[in-house]
Amino acid sequence: MLINKENITSIIPQRAPFVMIDSLLTADESGFKTEFKIASDNLFLEDAVLSESALIENIAQTCAAGFGYLNSLLEGGEPKLGFIGAVTHVNVEKPAKENDLIETSVQVLSTFDTIHLVEGTAKSNGNVLLTCQMKIVLA
Amino acid sequence: MKREDIILTTKQFLSDEFEVDATLIQPENNLQQTLDLDSLDYVDLVVVIEENLGIKPTAEDFKTIETFNDFYDLVEQRLNA
Repeated sequence: MLINKENITSIIPQRAPFVMIDSLLTADESGFKTEFKIASDNLFLEDAVLSESALIENIAQTCAAGFGYLNSLLEGGEPKLGFIGAVTHVNVEKPAKENDLIETSVQVLSTFDTIHLVEGTAKSNGNVLLTCQMKIVLA
Repeated sequence: MKREDIILTTKQFLSDEFEVDATLIQPENNLQQTLDLDSLDYVDLVVVIEENLGIKPTAEDFKTIETFNDFYDLVEQRLNA
């Protein structure tokens, strides 16, 4: 594990109750992995089911954490701000439920200048919940 | 790959990806305007170029590309390097 739950907000701009990742497991130029346990007080739960938009946010925060971590290593400074330029190819497979542990992986497909095209996959117990592509712009 | 093959291949994948009439992809036409590219589209452009032509242009390369002819020159140069 690279960053634990206590320190995750040091590399992402979101703050409670909008933090949708617990820990950064791995990060390199090719991609990132995070984990997130869906607590019973999560804002995006409805009838114990997490909304799909929260899973997309989980993937976005995985990107923020991964890029933030790498940038802080490379430049020795503060993580850069990242903006979602586009979300495409969204595929919802299964719902995520209260107390599920979400394992999210993001693969960097291509980079052009400060724009990164990534593919994110959120899984739980080995089952794919949601996949999508995002364009992330680092400022 | 010969220049005419580069042109043919490029017309095909760019018209598919950016949903433009292939007849508009003419050597003297402006690439950005013809494909109606915004800054975010360039990352898609790089992906399809890499997939179809096997080269990966950089942001620096695109500063010198105005027309499709400029693009074909770049591809020819990279493939023959």
